[in-house]
Amino acid sequence: MENKKSLYPTTKFWMLLFMFITIALVPGYKYQYAILPLVLILALFSGVIKQVTLNFLRSTFILCIVIFLMQGIFYPGETILFSVGFIDVYQEGIMMSLSLTSKIVAISSLVILFFATTKIKDIVFSLEKMGLSPKATYVILSTLQIIPALSAKSETIMEAQSSRGMETEGNILVRLKTLLPVFTPLVLSSLEATEERVLTLEARAFSSTAKRTQIYTVEKRAIDYILAAVAIIAIILFFVLRGGL
Amino acid sequence: MHKVLSLKNVSYAYPSSEQNAVTNVSIDIEAGKIYSIAGINGSGKTTLGLIMRGFIPKIYHGQLSGEIRYNGKEMSTQSMDVLCQEIGYVFQNPFTQMSAAKDTVFEEVAFALENLGVNPEEIKDRVTGTIRLLDIENLKDKNPMELSGGQKQKVAIASVVVMNPNVLILDEPTSQLDPVATKEIFEIIKLLKQRGTTVILIEHKLEQIAEYTDELIIMEGSELLVAGDTKSVLETTEYSQSSLEYPKYYELYKALNDESIEPFYTLEGMSTAIGGKDE
Repeated sequence: MENKKSLYPTTKFWMLLFMFITIALVPGYKYQYAILPLVLILALFSGVIKQVTLNFLRSTFILCIVIFLMQGIFYPGETILFSVGFIDVYQEGIMMSLSLTSKIVAISSLVILFFATTKIKDIVFSLEKMGLSPKATYVILSTLQIIPALSAKSETIMEAQSSRGMETEGNILVRLKTLLPVFTPLVLSSLEATEERVLTLEARAFSSTAKRTQIYTVEKRAIDYILAAVAIIAIILFFVLRGGL
Repeated sequence: MHKVLSLKNVSYAYPSSEQNAVTNVSIDIEAGKIYSIAGINGSGKTTLGLIMRGFIPKIYHGQLSGEIRYNGKEMSTQSMDVLCQEIGYVFQNPFTQMSAAKDTVFEEVAFALENLGVNPEEIKDRVTGTIRLLDIENLKDKNPMELSGGQKQKVAIASVVVMNPNVLILDEPTSQLDPVATKEIFEIIKLLKQRGTTVILIEHKLEQIAEYTDELIIMEGSELLVAGDTKSVLETTEYSQSSLEYPKYYELYKALNDESIEPFYTLEGMSTAIGGKDE
């Protein structure tokens, strides 16, 4: 029960930290935009290209389009690049949009790649190794696992309520009215389940004073030490060179 | 026979209640038998199970009086670590019994042993053995949260059995399961008895449990009404005055032995075969 393929989560963390620092501090937008194709190539080699692309398009792409439109139209500037009807698009606005969106694109694509290539239980394992209490890591893991179960339960409640004549389709006001009869039983049943889950955990020695062991492990390999060291040195060098320039 | 659990004059009231959930219960649980605690809803059977496991008063506070002993030692002096390994507890709802922190059944079953700090190699051996014993090898790589109710209940039992408890308490383990899954759970219970585990089954469906039960404990209105081997309990006047119905086959047995009932017809030899009295 060992994850031997992936890099150790903290190795990825050091590499991400280097990237985030440079994304934030390197001026302009070309470097930041260049990260996106790099991420896509890495995603391709990692076999997660579809997942990364879809998540990127669903989240970041739409956000960037909105930023481009808003900044391009409303950012105050002097150099009109082009006009569409009565709307003037300024060069300063476009430059600001490029600067802003390039950072968003770079950071979000890296984060999406990180989560596409890292199992949550790997992250939790490394956090526990770093000294985080098993109770805290349990909260992280169980929350992530319970969300889909709660979502399924809310759908069941929704169907049950609509079978009793509650309107679930329609305008925003109609949909808002459905919230109370759906969320009340959802919250109450979840609270009830919590009590039984506490007892279940106790029945499985969750509060044991023994030093916990794990059958699922993520081992650090030589490549992890090398890449983490390279990332840390790169961060130091970046600040040294930047200070010297 | 060795008494694993012994309750003497035990009464308990939940913190939010002034009424006793269990009143003046005295019972000895002998090793290696299957006990069934039966009673209608609110009779105190689940509370009695929680007392026997030590969840009362360690987790549920409130007013507890009387003497509770596990293997001759006062229950309150036992640590939760010891109680976890000695007395297993399986709950009614299969959906809340998954830890929700593991993404394979194998890891789910290993969860308790990890918490107890057992060596990983030993954990793997014990989990493999338990999964094989309960015949759930086909589930070991599946996500516990995505299993059916019956499968989840089997995994819940495996997650407790893996600790190799002396006593296993099951609180209405089949109440949310279909007949096939119910039958499978009872077969597991029989199997555990064969391995020497003392099983305490909390159940109101006497129809299903009488077949598997050695000793029946009937609870009524928070009190222990009657206890003993299944047949003798069913024959008591206390049982006849309780809110529980007789299992159908017991009614049939009674009818077959009732000389006042005239048969519709008789076949020669048949009544002898079924234990009739018209030789």
